[in-house]
Amino acid sequence: MATTKHKADRPDYASDFIPSDVERGVFLGNPVLDNMMASMIALGTEVWSMRRRMKVLEAVLEEKGITKQMVEQYVPTAEQEAAWEKDRDRFIDLTYSPMLREGDLPISSTFTRKKK
Amino acid sequence: MFDRRTMFSGLAGVATGAMALLKSKKAEAANAAPSHLGFKGDVEVRGSTDRNERLPTLDLESQQDFLTGFRIWNQTSFRTLAPERMNQRLEERGIDPASNPSITAILDIADTDPVLGLAAHTWLNCQFFTWKTIQDHFHADADRYLDELEAADKLGPGTLELHPDMKLPDHTKHEIHIMPGGYVGDSLGGYMFHHGTNNFYTNKNNKDELHRVYANAVPLPADGVVKRVLDVGCTIGQMTVALKERFPEAEIWGIDAGAPMLRYGHMRAVDLGVEVHLAQRLAEDMKFEDNSFDIVTSYILHHEMPAEISKQHVREAFRVLRPGGVFFPIDFYTGSNKPSPLAHQKYRHFWDMRWNNEVWWDEYESLDLLGAMRAVGFEATENGPRAWIGSKNLLGIKPA
Repeated sequence: MATTKHKADRPDYASDFIPSDVERGVFLGNPVLDNMMASMIALGTEVWSMRRRMKVLEAVLEEKGITKQMVEQYVPTAEQEAAWEKDRDRFIDLTYSPMLREGDLPISSTFTRKKK
Repeated sequence: MFDRRTMFSGLAGVATGAMALLKSKKAEAANAAPSHLGFKGDVEVRGSTDRNERLPTLDLESQQDFLTGFRIWNQTSFRTLAPERMNQRLEERGIDPASNPSITAILDIADTDPVLGLAAHTWLNCQFFTWKTIQDHFHADADRYLDELEAADKLGPGTLELHPDMKLPDHTKHEIHIMPGGYVGDSLGGYMFHHGTNNFYTNKNNKDELHRVYANAVPLPADGVVKRVLDVGCTIGQMTVALKERFPEAEIWGIDAGAPMLRYGHMRAVDLGVEVHLAQRLAEDMKFEDNSFDIVTSYILHHEMPAEISKQHVREAFRVLRPGGVFFPIDFYTGSNKPSPLAHQKYRHFWDMRWNNEVWWDEYESLDLLGAMRAVGFEATENGPRAWIGSKNLLGIKPA
């Protein structure tokens, strides 16, 4: 039962139900691909939420006198530039370095233990 | 020709068609939609816009905004691409796509085609994350929202009738449209249903615009007398409220098997100040007196029930309608109104049934609803006025 976590002494009017099995569906020929695609949709949801919040923040700031133009024309200090570049490179490395993996072993391949 | 399932999944087409109907019925739909009145215990974290409470957090609102956009993208991107792909793959195998290919041949292709797989996968996961994001929010603060429901349970102007000990038949317990818990199994399911379907209708029903169109499409009895109206399978009562707006002097009832839906619907009606009576009852055993309603209607109910239950409901509707009363079940194309199935439509119907949990779709497709109406005594036609998809709707009159 998909009951909510709530105070034990209250009626919730929920009944038992028959669950779907949609999460077991394989649509892309490989469940890992399915899972990755699902993760990408979830990631898009989160990224857009963040961008939309930024838009709200900009709108609120503008109401308080910090205009969008001021944000656009802001010139970072050299220290800020350096710190942000470092963070940008970390972000790129984390996000895209898995693309460089050269997987070539089937799941059934044996593991050769290295000797001392 | 409409691709009815494609339309159903994105609803952009349905909404557009319905909006056109709304325009054409502007005079009828002129009745003002009420805005929120509020009540003691009402939770409105971020206020409301017209008659819709805003989602409780900016993040949740933004998540739904993304998923609505993603739904439209899926709909637009694959509307042409997927049918073309299906036809191409059939032709590669020497099968004429227009020859009504077998579902076996179609699924054999679908199982190995990445484009067809992607079309289904992305639509279903959009649906999945729509429900999940909403459920996660409301579950995280469950007592707050259960307090809100409780605060409204006993308030008017309408009434709420629930039966916690009612034994629900299994056909009511499926997670239709993969909504977690379905209509009966999640105490906060009404919140999920309302906000999730706003996404599903791509924000074209945030003020119940579509439900008002359907309520306004319901034909009157020949004598014009409308004192009591019943909306069957009303979920959160959007059409029930719209019927009250159309017939302000009448007593309006909505029934559903799902207590969580009704509780939320009652709270919303309280908030809107609309007097409707919502009751937990079954379509096949409505427990109303004989000859006690002038109109019995429903909105997309029948395709969510086994065919046998549909027939039982038709019998019940005939029983509770007074002589001259109107039976108007709004649903997908029925009878000879059905378009010819194209290969991709057959695939779309299949995965909608199998994976989007439209559990009873195949039974609905083979159901002769018009015949069932005539069998119990209705003077019935499939050429009733347009309501939803298609240009006409089934209509039954109980002989005077």
